[in-house]
Amino acid sequence: MADKNQEVYVDPANLIFARAMEIVTYIGIAVMIVFGLLYLFGLPSYVEMKHAICQWHHPVGTFWHNVVGIHISGYDWFLKNLACMDCLSMIGICILALAPFVAILAAWPKVGATHRVLTLLFFILVVEYLFAILKPIILPGVGGH
Amino acid sequence: MFSQRRWILFLGFLVFILLAGAAYLWAQEPHSVAEAAKEAVQEMEAQSSGICWWLWPIILFGFTFIIGIIAPLSGVGGGVLFVPLSTAFFPFSVDFIRGAGLIMALTSALSASPQFIRKGLANIRIMAPLVCVSMVTSILGGIVGLWITNAFPAGKHYITIALGLVLLLIFFVMLTSKKVEFPEVKEQDPLSKALALSGSWFEPTLGKVIEYKLTRLPLGLVCFAAVGFIAGMFGLGAGWANVPVLNLIMGAPIKVAVATSMTIIALNDAAAAWIYLAKGAVLPLIVVPSVIGISLGARIGAKLAVKAKPAFVKILVMGIMLLAAALNIVKGLKGLHII
Repeated sequence: MADKNQEVYVDPANLIFARAMEIVTYIGIAVMIVFGLLYLFGLPSYVEMKHAICQWHHPVGTFWHNVVGIHISGYDWFLKNLACMDCLSMIGICILALAPFVAILAAWPKVGATHRVLTLLFFILVVEYLFAILKPIILPGVGGH
Repeated sequence: MFSQRRWILFLGFLVFILLAGAAYLWAQEPHSVAEAAKEAVQEMEAQSSGICWWLWPIILFGFTFIIGIIAPLSGVGGGVLFVPLSTAFFPFSVDFIRGAGLIMALTSALSASPQFIRKGLANIRIMAPLVCVSMVTSILGGIVGLWITNAFPAGKHYITIALGLVLLLIFFVMLTSKKVEFPEVKEQDPLSKALALSGSWFEPTLGKVIEYKLTRLPLGLVCFAAVGFIAGMFGLGAGWANVPVLNLIMGAPIKVAVATSMTIIALNDAAAAWIYLAKGAVLPLIVVPSVIGISLGARIGAKLAVKAKPAFVKILVMGIMLLAAALNIVKGLKGLHII
């Protein structure tokens, strides 16, 4: 093992990227699974399982209208109901979806020191990520329901 | 990497939380679970499916557990098996299936990528330009996919047919593509050279360090734009398409192509996931059993992969894909009352 590590050079930016991604991923999986299982075991929930199962053959818009009576657009439907286990499980999924973003931010300083073009690409990636996260809030009607 | 001791602590923590939750539940509402189950059973028995509500998470767990075993054996992501098979066999809307498929692919890719990067098999210099393009198109794909099913009453049937056709395409790509283990890149294009798209890793089967370099980046970017759109639209990880582009077009060794593909999947799917979250297309009821099932199955599959004959596994997966493609096309055509 030691020989392998000595012969293959992996630059520090890659190592930091990997470490940050790994840590955030484990946190996200733990939160998602723990609260998801508590939801499946019947603790307080925003969406009742039996209602969901009766309606889950409908497209998302119809499903949410029939099950909870709301129109879903954005993240407030789970962020405002954090006492419910299924909404807490959604937080775990959000943490997972943030893992690469955190990894890019963590590796950025090291990248900047060695490769200017890569710094520019990282900047573009960060902008794209922020757009992906904020798009449902700032442009809720575009391409959606 | 988590050591065995950390894994035991992690699992112990999970068990503790679950036990604590169960104890709280029984202490607060001693009859609620039984009553809820009874009501749900009665209600669900009235449904045409006749399947008890609590069986669905168990069925999903078993289904994804089997997919988890097959996926590492075949080198495809879990989503590419989960999405078409679930669309064909399960009663969920294709929106929820795509959402769950995306989260499954994301979880698998996030779990595998750090290891690949540390070994030198994946590299952020290669990943960054490709993801810059494919992330935009995967977001657009996610928007278009959800828009079609909601804007048009018959949209879900067209999506189902399109998914079947995409699967047929994957089948033919797998049928015709050759795995080039160590492609020879004599000269890099100027863009690949400027971005220093190269690296090295220790290959245990040869007992030496292999150095590699990539080329044809402009063509690779065009291909990744198309792949990203399809991935976002159908909730697939798109490893089936990333690997041929990296390997056959850009000249990456097959192991580097697979590892880089996993890292690209992680970034693309993480961006596309927000669309599904904001539209309510991610249901913990479907996602949680699926993620647990595929994670546990993949651990067994990874061990079996060492012993299994690759040719047999490839034929197995291609057979599943062909079946799923046919089922999806027939299901879509029936929905449109064409057949």
